[in-house]
Amino acid sequence: MSDLDKAITELRACRIIPETQIREICHKARELLIEEANVVQVDAPVTICGDIHGQFHDLMELFRVGGDVPDTNYLFMGDFVDRGFYSLESFMLLLCLKVRYPDRITLIRGNHESRQITTVYGFYDECHRKYGSANVWRYCCDVFDYLALGALVLGVGATLEPTEIDPSQGIDPVDDELEVEIIDCNKRVRERHPRRRPRPGLRRDGGGSSPGSSSSPPTKRGGNDNSGGAVLCVHGGLSPLIEFVDKIRLIDRKQEVPHEGSMCDLLWSDPDDIDGWGLSPRGAGFLFGSDIVKRFNHINNLSLIARAHQLVMEGHKEMFDSQIVTVWSAPNYCYRCGNVASILELYEDTSNGGVVQRNNGDVNRNIAAVSNSTPLMQGPARRYRVFEAAPQDPRGMPAKKPVADYFLVKLS
Amino acid sequence: MSDLQRSFAKAKLAGLPFDPPMPSTDLPDEDEHAEEADYLKPLPDPTQDDDSSSASSASSASSTGTIRPSPSKHLFARPKGYPSLKKSLDPLPWNDYFSQECYWANHRPTESITHHVYFVPPIGKAPLLVMHHGAGSSGLSFALFSLEIRKALPNCGLLSVDARGHGETTVSSLEASPNDGDPDLSLEVLSQDLAEVVGLAKTEMGWVEMPDIVLIGHSLGGAVVADLAVSGRLGKSVLGYAVLDVVEGSAMDALQSMQQYLATRPKTFPSLHSAIEWHTRTRTVRSTMSARISVPSLMRRVPASSNANDDHDETWTWRTELSKTEQYWSNWFNGLSSKFLSANGGKLLILAGTDRLDKELMIGQMQGKYQLQVFPEAGHFVQEDCAEKTAIAVADFVKRNDRAALVLPPKVGQMAEKANGLK
Repeated sequence: MSDLDKAITELRACRIIPETQIREICHKARELLIEEANVVQVDAPVTICGDIHGQFHDLMELFRVGGDVPDTNYLFMGDFVDRGFYSLESFMLLLCLKVRYPDRITLIRGNHESRQITTVYGFYDECHRKYGSANVWRYCCDVFDYLALGALVLGVGATLEPTEIDPSQGIDPVDDELEVEIIDCNKRVRERHPRRRPRPGLRRDGGGSSPGSSSSPPTKRGGNDNSGGAVLCVHGGLSPLIEFVDKIRLIDRKQEVPHEGSMCDLLWSDPDDIDGWGLSPRGAGFLFGSDIVKRFNHINNLSLIARAHQLVMEGHKEMFDSQIVTVWSAPNYCYRCGNVASILELYEDTSNGGVVQRNNGDVNRNIAAVSNSTPLMQGPARRYRVFEAAPQDPRGMPAKKPVADYFLVKLS
Repeated sequence: MSDLQRSFAKAKLAGLPFDPPMPSTDLPDEDEHAEEADYLKPLPDPTQDDDSSSASSASSASSTGTIRPSPSKHLFARPKGYPSLKKSLDPLPWNDYFSQECYWANHRPTESITHHVYFVPPIGKAPLLVMHHGAGSSGLSFALFSLEIRKALPNCGLLSVDARGHGETTVSSLEASPNDGDPDLSLEVLSQDLAEVVGLAKTEMGWVEMPDIVLIGHSLGGAVVADLAVSGRLGKSVLGYAVLDVVEGSAMDALQSMQQYLATRPKTFPSLHSAIEWHTRTRTVRSTMSARISVPSLMRRVPASSNANDDHDETWTWRTELSKTEQYWSNWFNGLSSKFLSANGGKLLILAGTDRLDKELMIGQMQGKYQLQVFPEAGHFVQEDCAEKTAIAVADFVKRNDRAALVLPPKVGQMAEKANGLK
């Protein structure tokens, strides 16, 4: 058993590993990450995960629900650290897995992967508490600077193989092509949505995340109608400074997350029900509306944007005619928010005999053609697996400081 | 990254020592005296007392033999507002921090109230920052902050009020008061007072229309500004509001231990000096400078006739008897989180120490509904302990939310049209 495998075993048991080993692993990880492009190319099938925030036991639950590495190909969209009590164990486990199975796990950067943010929201204190110095925090922060900013998933299939269901559940088996399936915490199918066929000449009408049953008869699916649009994954969202995915590739990413500019926006922005761009209440990044997303997806030949960054009580939320989805993977966030979490599974497109069309976002489509009548590209097949918080081990919780300690002078 | 960039970075990486360099960012374990040390830095005194060891380590000057004055170092400059170079506990006057002190009379059917405010009128179309202190504090709690924020926003107006029952604001009731002479400190009354003070400022200054307003409240004041913001009394003039170091959940939890804490406070002080000394020694206010400005306004002299103890020439006691305000405590903070999240305008929450968000604020923060800043080195009086940092955060917040200055990057649509035009 190699040292790395031993470290993985220790970390899986939520035990910390020696400082020297962390230094070595961080160094190896940096060498690996520097080879990655700003926008990593990932082939389907892949399981996409949102924020983790140091909730180690919930990360274990995630692996239980989604399958283990390397059996499942994972893409984590950042915010591994802060707020939870096991940021170090969570991030180091993911990093060890990255070093051990580089092609089976992709890590991209979130806004919490930053020196400034981690000094305030817990990761720095945690490292200091566990090692008595900030060295480990420094090694990790150096890795943060090398994390990719986004990922592009290619070769995504348009139809799901339905999960076997217990007839007693009362969910009708689908005859139609299955586009969306939601599996609940008990591994039972909660919702199913067949693909809706747009009538010729009509654009898909808005329906958000719950497309009703289609009245038009299903047409036979050919290779062409799934043009294999790519899925762009970023932590936050879009930037007014980035019109093409290629623009992301031009960023010099090896730095602390800046306070403004395109790199900051990718990690901080949020979609919102507005027109165009808006001021973000967060104090960094922007808000962007449906028109922005639809135009961006069309120009870059994307079928979906997957992002994290915002707490969603239901674990995931599709917006803007399913052109963008928020995936949140920290159940009962910060041990008090009462939300469920989810992961998003995308499958391989087998319709063209495994041949993947090269639509990786740098196709310069005619901008003039973008208008309200532009048909939206059909979304990829998506399976959401919802999960709840793992039972907490109270031994690991740091003793809660009595409030009075601090609040004695609160009123005066 | 392009291949070129990558290979360059890789080459650089290979050349770097294995040990990563120290980050240049400020670490939270930095000594809290550092700020004070900065003020004192120009005068490295070999006879300085021993407790300054931490301060001197923060000062590069102390380790070098010769100190050369240079324009950039302001070695012998005495910036306005920081007049003292020795560790004095003398009270400092208000007028280095605000340009006017006003007593504005306000007559209501049941009472007449004289609002005492510290004021700097805005210049031109600059916004007006309206500040409300916490329970037991006074308008001068924002003195150092006001000085700092004018460095970033030289034209902005400042209005720091003394709430009723605090500072020099006086109320005379025209009816028999049920409270036995103690002022009604319920949140609704305080919020109405603040709205009317802003109205009085408009009348007194003869403004045709209200300037853009940013509300800033500390502790109880945070609850007051959130209540005022959600009430919509100031209409569309409110650009945003900032709440300093108060969270409903933790405040409610702390209420039960408040009386216990208040019982441990000295009831009287023999001098203002000793009151200032007590505030700094107990680290209630961590900036000596700020304590010298704000503490005198919290104290009042006990009249000689009622002074049973003749050993002292004078005795000072608290202007506001906090233990008598207990009936209002839960009223102040009840519903604060929801008000903070639901009012219109930009929202800034600044917390001292660690983030102690309650569930509602935690969800709101992770959904991106407001801006959160945490100052680990500050005590409860954030705006006094970290006046400069607080001012920078508020100034950025004001600039960001300023309608006149709001410049968004060009929309993709416009860029696309431009690109098309070029084709």
